[in-house]
Order: sequence, then C-alpha cells, then structure tokens
Amino acid sequence: MTKEDLLTSILQILQGLEYTSGIFFFTLILSLPLGLAVARGKMSKNKIVSAIFGVYISILRGTPLMLQLLIVYYGPYYLFGISTGGIKIGPFNFRFIAAIIGFTLNYAAYFAEIFRGGIQSMPKGQYEAAQVLGFSKSQTYFKIILPQVIKRVLPSVGNEVITLVKDTSLAQVLSVSEMFFMASSLASKQVSIVPFLVVGVFYYFMNAVIALLMSKIENSMAYYS
Amino acid sequence: MNNTDNILIMENIHKSFGDLEVLKGIDLTVKRGEVVAVIGPSGGGKSTLLRCATTLENIDSGKIVIAGDTLCDMQGGKIKYATKDQLRHIRSRFGLVFQNFNLFPHFSVRRNITESLIHVLGKSKDEADQICDDLLAKMDIKDKADSYPCNLSGGQQQRVSIARALAADPDIIFFDEPTSALDPELTKGVLEVIKSIAAEHMTMVIVTHEMMFARDVADRIVFMDGGVIVEEGPAFELVSNPKQQRTKEFLAGY
Ligand SMILES: Nc1ncnc2c1ncn2[C@@H]1O[C@H](COP(=O)(O)OP(=O)(O)OP(=O)(O)O)[C@@H](O)[C@H]1O
Ligand SMILES: [Mg+2]
Repeated sequence: MTKEDLLTSILQILQGLEYTSGIFFFTLILSLPLGLAVARGKMSKNKIVSAIFGVYISILRGTPLMLQLLIVYYGPYYLFGISTGGIKIGPFNFRFIAAIIGFTLNYAAYFAEIFRGGIQSMPKGQYEAAQVLGFSKSQTYFKIILPQVIKRVLPSVGNEVITLVKDTSLAQVLSVSEMFFMASSLASKQVSIVPFLVVGVFYYFMNAVIALLMSKIENSMAYYS
Repeated sequence: MNNTDNILIMENIHKSFGDLEVLKGIDLTVKRGEVVAVIGPSGGGKSTLLRCATTLENIDSGKIVIAGDTLCDMQGGKIKYATKDQLRHIRSRFGLVFQNFNLFPHFSVRRNITESLIHVLGKSKDEADQICDDLLAKMDIKDKADSYPCNLSGGQQQRVSIARALAADPDIIFFDEPTSALDPELTKGVLEVIKSIAAEHMTMVIVTHEMMFARDVADRIVFMDGGVIVEEGPAFELVSNPKQQRTKEFLAGY
C-alpha cells in the first residue's frame, strides 16, 4: 500500500459521499412523515384500511431491502414495459430516484411501527383532559399527543437512523455511485483492502456525529418525564 | 331552557357497556351554587355518571342539560347529541378534575392552565396569564408557574389541575375522587382548596370516599349503588341518619 493509494481512496470515496448523504437525507425527510401516515392508517378504525396498511408494513419489513430496491428499479420495465432509462428529475437519474423510493417505502414501514407503539403508549387520560378542555381533534394531536410521542420514540428512531446510514450501502446494487460502490470498484482496481477500511471509517464517523446529535436532541427534551 | 338556575339536569340516564348496564335510570339535578357529593361502593357507576355528564361517554338514553344548554336528549326514541359547535361551547361551561390529574407533562404549569384559554376560548396571552396567576395564588402555589408537573408533589399537581378546571370560569366543576391518588398527608391541602372554592359558591359535583369531607362541604349527598341512586338528602342528615339499609351498611364501613 502506498500513500498515494490511500489518498486516492479517500478522494474517490469522498465523491461517493454526496450520493450517500443524498440517499440518507431524502429518505429521512420522506419516510418520517410517510411513516406517521402509515401508522395512522394501521390504527384506522376502518378494518379494511387497517388491514391494507398492516400488509404493507408486514411485506416491507419481511423482505430484504435489497430485493425491494431491485423491484423498484426493474419493476417498471419488467412488469409494465415502461422504459426508465430516460427518467430524470433535476440532476437525479432513475437509479438514484429508485433508490430513494425503495429506501423511503422500507423505512416508512419501520418508522410506522415505532410511531404506532409511541401513540398507543399514550395514556387515555391525555386525550380525555384535552377533550374536556375543548381542544379540537387536530389541536389535541399536534399540541398534546405528538410532542409527547416524539419524545417517547426518539431512542428507537435514533437506532433506525443509524441503521439507515449503513443501509445506504445497499444502493450499490442499483449502481448508484455512493461511497460503498466507489470503495468496491476501487478495491478491485487497486487489489487492496484499503478502500474498504477507508469507507468503514467514513460510515463510523457519520454515525458518531448522528449519535451525538441524537443525544443532544434527547437531552433537550429531558426537561420533563 | 327556562330554568337556568338548575346548572345540571340529568334525566333518566341509561348507560351500558356491552351487556353490562352501569347506569339504570339516574335522575340528578344540581342547582346553581349547590355542592353535591356522590358516594357509594366501588363499581356503583359514580365515575361513569361523571363521564357521561362531561362528554367522555355517550349515554344510551336520557337527557342532559348543562347551564341551560342541552347536551343530549331523546328524539324519536333515539338519543341525539348536540352538534360539534354546541359541544365546544358546552365543554367551556364545565370543568373536570380527574383522580390522576391528567396534566400535560410537556407543558409548564402556566401552559397547562393557559393553553385552552388562548387556543380554545381565544383569550389574549396577557389575559390568560392574569387568570393563571390569580388561580395559582388561590391554590397557594404561586411560585410554581414555570415548573413542570413532574417536579411537583401529587397535591400540588392536583391543585394545578383544579386551577386548570377553573380557568374558563365554568358554571360547574366535576371532581372524580380528587384525593384518591394522593398520600394521606397531601389529601388535606387539596380538600382545603376544594372547600375554599365551595365557599365561593361554585357549583360542584364531587365523587369522593372522604365521608367527613362530604358531610362538611356538601349541601347534599347522593348515595349510588348498582347503577341507581339509592338515597339522597341533606349532607349531614344522610351521613348521620341514613334511611336505606344499603346506605347504612355502606356508611358503617367508615
Ligand atoms: N369503559 C368501560 N367498559 C366496560 N365496562 C366499564 C367501563 N367503564 C366502567 N365499566 C364498568 O362499569 C361499572 C361501573 O364503573 P364505575 O367506574 O362507574 O364505578 P365507580 O362507582 O366509579 O367505582 P369506583 O369507586 O371503584 O371508582 C363497573 O362494573 C366497571 O367495570
Ligand atoms: Mg370511579
């Protein structure tokens, strides 16, 4: 291993960082609200609606994320004959878009179960006190219930976020040039393990930062119990 | 309603949970300024009665009028409830104090009291703060406005929840065993506070197991058992000279 090899590794993998963080942020921003919506669907009093969301959650959690990514990417063509090669949204090609869709659908299912647990753990008395005070349903939800649910689910959401950082590496199956993809191709070109070690350090530091952020957020909510 | 001197009118209230009939035709009228204590053995339907009066449970049949507004009445043999807007108004006319407080833990004491004043009743922040400060002074917890419920004793929490129930200046307040969740040494302070509110002629219905308190503070006591009102009468008389056998047996336990 030479110093140059190490430097090329770092620089190449840094280029993949853009896609990795792109997948990470888009997935988070989209899957958290979608997860909340799915949780509400699952808790619907309408049995059919609840069952549909139940099946969604069960399939998305019960099959490999990698498989789901492949289906989102290849499905449109093999199932419906839609040619996806030319699809582009802004600077993003269909590989990247498919990755975002796949990740979002998958993480929404996990977040939904976390949110559902949080919402169902809320004591009935909170709803009753709000109702008697005249708060509307949406005021009760957004002022009283949701803020407390967020505090309750924060640790579990944090775990998922950390898993998401590592899972972004699965986007390599769609040949998205994220960090892991860059590292693999570099490793075979250099016949060296260095790129893998470098990429490992990158993931580790991203997650260290996230863990720090999460504990900051948790502390900011520690003023009540 | 022609007679708004009756703040609460409950007529022939029936309520079942599945096959279990919990209220079997209750009649209860409370006049303005009257303090009514509801006593009786566990499972007799006291909480259910309060929950029906405060819109937390819907009755199967009967009629409820609060401060002149009809909450529900029979129409063509079926129970019919007030509209959403009417309900919002009716809910501002009564307060409910829960056994386990049900304060909002993520809100400061001040916000627990002012949030609905501002966002339901449309009062200004200043006006709401003024109401809050006055009530906290009355509850003897003036310095706790910025505390969070988790940092208060049970007795202080219950006083906050009483202040919260009083904030909208309701026509009637319901208490469901306000001291049952408290350690004995904290009970007294809360009972004192309720007494002081009674002295200001607030109309109140209090479900309680504190027999001496009921006797001293209530004008009238209602003894409920098995979903019916077995006996009712002036507080002192009912406690010292019950007429019904079931009342006697119940009171003998105190
Ligand atoms: N939501 C509910 N579903 C089914 N049954 C209920 C429900 N709420 C109350 N009950 C039943 O109704 C009966 C009356 O209950 P309630 O809580 O009104 O009694 P209580 O007089 O307040 O008793 P306590 O002194 O123990 O508080 C009990 O048998 C109870 O199990
Ligand atoms: Mg009860």
